[in-house]
Amino acid sequence: MGPKMSADTKIAELLTELHQLIKQTQEERSRSEHNLLNIQKTHERMQTENKTSPYYRSKLRGLYTTAKADAEAECSILRHALDKIAEIKSLLEERRIAARIAGVNSNGDPPRKTMRRGVLMTLLQQSAMTLPLWIGKPGESPPPLCGATPASTDYVAKQGDKVAARVKAVEGDEQWILAEVVSYNHSTNKYEVDDIDEEGKERHTLSRRRIIPLPQWKANPETDPEALFSKDQLVLALYPQTTCFYRALIHTPPHRPQDDYSVLFEDTSYPDGYSPPLNVAQRYVVACKENKKK
Amino acid sequence: MFRHPPERNGFSHHGHFSLTTLTAPPSRCIMSELKDCPPLKYYDFKPVEHVKLCPRYTAVLSRSEDDGIGIEELDTLQLELETLLSSASRRLRALEEQRQILTDWQDKKGDKRVLGKDPDPAAPSRHKPKKQKQDSKGGPGPGPGRPKSKIMQPKVQEYDFPDDPQDVPRTPKNDAPNRFWASVEPYCADITNEEIRLLEELLKPPEDEAEYFKIPALGKHYSQRWAQEDLLEEQREGVRASDKKKSLMGGPLSELDAKDVDSLLKKSESQHESPEDGCPFGPLTQRLLQALVEENIISPMEDSPIPDIPGKDANDGAGTSPRSQGKAFSVPHTRSLEARIKEELIAQGLLDSEERPGQGGDSEDEVLAELQKRQAELKALSAHNRSRKQELLRLAKEEMRKQELRQRVRVADNEVMEGFRRIMAARQKKRTPTKKEKDQAWKALKERESILKLLDS
Repeated sequence: MGPKMSADTKIAELLTELHQLIKQTQEERSRSEHNLLNIQKTHERMQTENKTSPYYRSKLRGLYTTAKADAEAECSILRHALDKIAEIKSLLEERRIAARIAGVNSNGDPPRKTMRRGVLMTLLQQSAMTLPLWIGKPGESPPPLCGATPASTDYVAKQGDKVAARVKAVEGDEQWILAEVVSYNHSTNKYEVDDIDEEGKERHTLSRRRIIPLPQWKANPETDPEALFSKDQLVLALYPQTTCFYRALIHTPPHRPQDDYSVLFEDTSYPDGYSPPLNVAQRYVVACKENKKK
Repeated sequence: MFRHPPERNGFSHHGHFSLTTLTAPPSRCIMSELKDCPPLKYYDFKPVEHVKLCPRYTAVLSRSEDDGIGIEELDTLQLELETLLSSASRRLRALEEQRQILTDWQDKKGDKRVLGKDPDPAAPSRHKPKKQKQDSKGGPGPGPGRPKSKIMQPKVQEYDFPDDPQDVPRTPKNDAPNRFWASVEPYCADITNEEIRLLEELLKPPEDEAEYFKIPALGKHYSQRWAQEDLLEEQREGVRASDKKKSLMGGPLSELDAKDVDSLLKKSESQHESPEDGCPFGPLTQRLLQALVEENIISPMEDSPIPDIPGKDANDGAGTSPRSQGKAFSVPHTRSLEARIKEELIAQGLLDSEERPGQGGDSEDEVLAELQKRQAELKALSAHNRSRKQELLRLAKEEMRKQELRQRVRVADNEVMEGFRRIMAARQKKRTPTKKEKDQAWKALKERESILKLLDS
């Protein structure tokens, strides 16, 4: 294969590799299954016999050690497979951005074909669902932009990244919208972002403090609960079926990796000032910087 | 006694297995009810049922190479693989934890037996894994060895590495209370004689105290001083210039120049000695005269009630001559004249007697006023500080007395306990305590009572 391999060929190749990795994963899992079953049996026997003789202890230790090695191997292949998926996705993303830029340059047509609102909402949900889950090795702590972990202070969002952007709306009110990064100017420290909502079709130039990058990993509530926002924490969350972020309090954090946050939006139309609990995906919940009320 | 060098090695920096147990998710475990057993949890390590939970993954598995995976399947596959990875890494953590518990437990038992036999190795060598390794290699002696564990030895060593990252956050956790108590200690510690001595030292007035209450004599007026400095400056400039000249024309001239400047300087000095730019009269005399002259009430030449005025006029007239002679022109009695004018003015009610300069200084002297203000402040502050220090010293001495009493209470406590123990020992041996023992106990109790009373009062 030459270096000029087209993106399509590259993607096809990666898909094949992914297929192989998945098959390997299953082989590894089948291989370790026997040992896990053995552990279970030993557990049962030890519990029914109500004693832990030195024999059982060393037997169990042997089984655990083997199972641990197996689990490590399985994790490693799975990480490999997930990396492949991420690689394919980033290639697809590159292709999408390239296509959009080509669209802008070719003629006077609107840069993106207008999308029906329902379609946009589905896409947003999909992207939230498939935000990769961060699963660290034992002892590893979550990286920046994993769940509630903030980006480092010198972080610069890349082209195509989704961000929360604070813009002036038509009435002069300030609003946090969901936007996509077009470029970043290092000399002025300003971002150019596109409103994700096609109806706006607006491009905004905003200083970096008006931009909050969205999480790039979901935090795993089962292993890294400290990387999630906790109950009653003030956040900005994407209001369901809109493309705007509003201030909200965390009602309950997610319990499982695919769960959403349940949040209470600040809403004066309700007697206690908050909406009933609504679900918002990890991807669309970011820390709220400003403390003053709107 | 059979020992396991690599496991020991792992254990040596992993002493807190109870912590590990506590952090395990309690919902997933069945607590062991066995008494002699380490807190094993018998986790359910069943793998994820991928056929049920990961349908896309299962479907992809049965496909041939040619069918492959579609791009549209990536999202679902990702979620399913994440489920598998999450489960596998949770299993990995639990296994490590449980395995460590087994290792620690075995190790602890081993230690006990080792201690019984040979007091040397276990405790101190924990901090020196290397040494431990060596002597355990040397001595896998006889004993109730466990054949199974021999098989495990190499593997155990291989998977020891995850211990380190887990240990890292624990070290500071244990240190925090110690550091806290260390920081609090100085505030709670007993007062020592040293500290009392320091306080007494502080109470002595500092030797340089008087220095701060001195009012230095008035120096030359700044305008005079500056003029003189300017002159000196120019002189130096001149010397430099003449140096150049010297190189051109030779020495003698420049010497002459220097002499000139000196004499000029002397002249100016002598001029400045007389107050108010050479006018010998006091400020009141001048003011009064000025008022009279401007109003044109008397002519300068006429006789005046103030006898010395003609003299002043003569002075004005011959103004330049005495100055050019470089001598101070002085009029006699100017001082007494000034005083008399002042007295007269006050008597006439034209001048407020309050304006009389206080404390040997000029009331118009702002610097002096400020200095006096600050000195008063300093005096008040140091008086306050002194009273505080005295109070502190008093409290400290009182506390010292109490400390002494407390010390005696402690001694008395011990004596009481001693008596109690003796009596109890007697009771255990089923004999009535001797009179001596009873007396001693009573004496100790009474003494303690009396000291406590003293302490309370």
